[in-house]
Amino acid sequence: MKLFQNLLGKDNGIEIGSPVAGRLVSIKEVNDPTFSEEILGKGAAVIPSDNRICSPIDGKVTTMFPTGHAAAVTGDNGAAVLIHVGLDTVNLKGEYFTIHAADGQDVKKGDLLMEADIEKIKEAGYDVITPVIVCNPDDFSEIQMAESGDVAQGDAILNLKK
Amino acid sequence: MKEFQYVIQDPVGLHARPAGLLVKQAAGFQSKITVSGNGKSCDAKKLIMLMSLGITQGTEVTCQIEGEDEEAAFEAIQKFFTENL
Repeated sequence: MKLFQNLLGKDNGIEIGSPVAGRLVSIKEVNDPTFSEEILGKGAAVIPSDNRICSPIDGKVTTMFPTGHAAAVTGDNGAAVLIHVGLDTVNLKGEYFTIHAADGQDVKKGDLLMEADIEKIKEAGYDVITPVIVCNPDDFSEIQMAESGDVAQGDAILNLKK
Repeated sequence: MKEFQYVIQDPVGLHARPAGLLVKQAAGFQSKITVSGNGKSCDAKKLIMLMSLGITQGTEVTCQIEGEDEEAAFEAIQKFFTENL
């Protein structure tokens, strides 16, 4: 990814892909201090334009939340990434979410984790912004976000350096 | 070593927000803090492991605290559970 090669020199670092197509924004834009104040870790957020939420990295599903609104994937590269679809969506108790991956499942970047009916979730009054958080930021010397803007599922949104 | 049991009251169990706040609380203490529930246990300082325990409303969790500041940690963590979960 040319962007990160320029920023970090020859070593590309570890790329975290967008789990969903949409618009990449800073984590500070998330209306929930649990995310915007980096309580869970460091990262960014994507406002989804599609229902398919996919793994951002190669690794293993550490946790698929039973309600399907969030999942954590631990990468072969050491990054522990949490994808949380929408804010307070735990309160939907699974409605509008379809789970496609299980705890312990090996996944490749791009594999479908869950589907979220973004329109219905919005209609129900929830903010659909989806934080993508590295939960072990202290294991890395640097975490950089790509430029905000439109992203396709799989486009690099974060770059980590050990 | 200090220990307490607590039955989770929160209808959505140990979800992202309280798990994140618990990790932050636990990180402030030197002591080793272990949370057990559902037959599994993990370090309370590791967010994703905490969320993997699958702790829901009605689950009885055991919290074990061991270290130099275990008295203070015990007070704070027990208070945290009572107030947030």
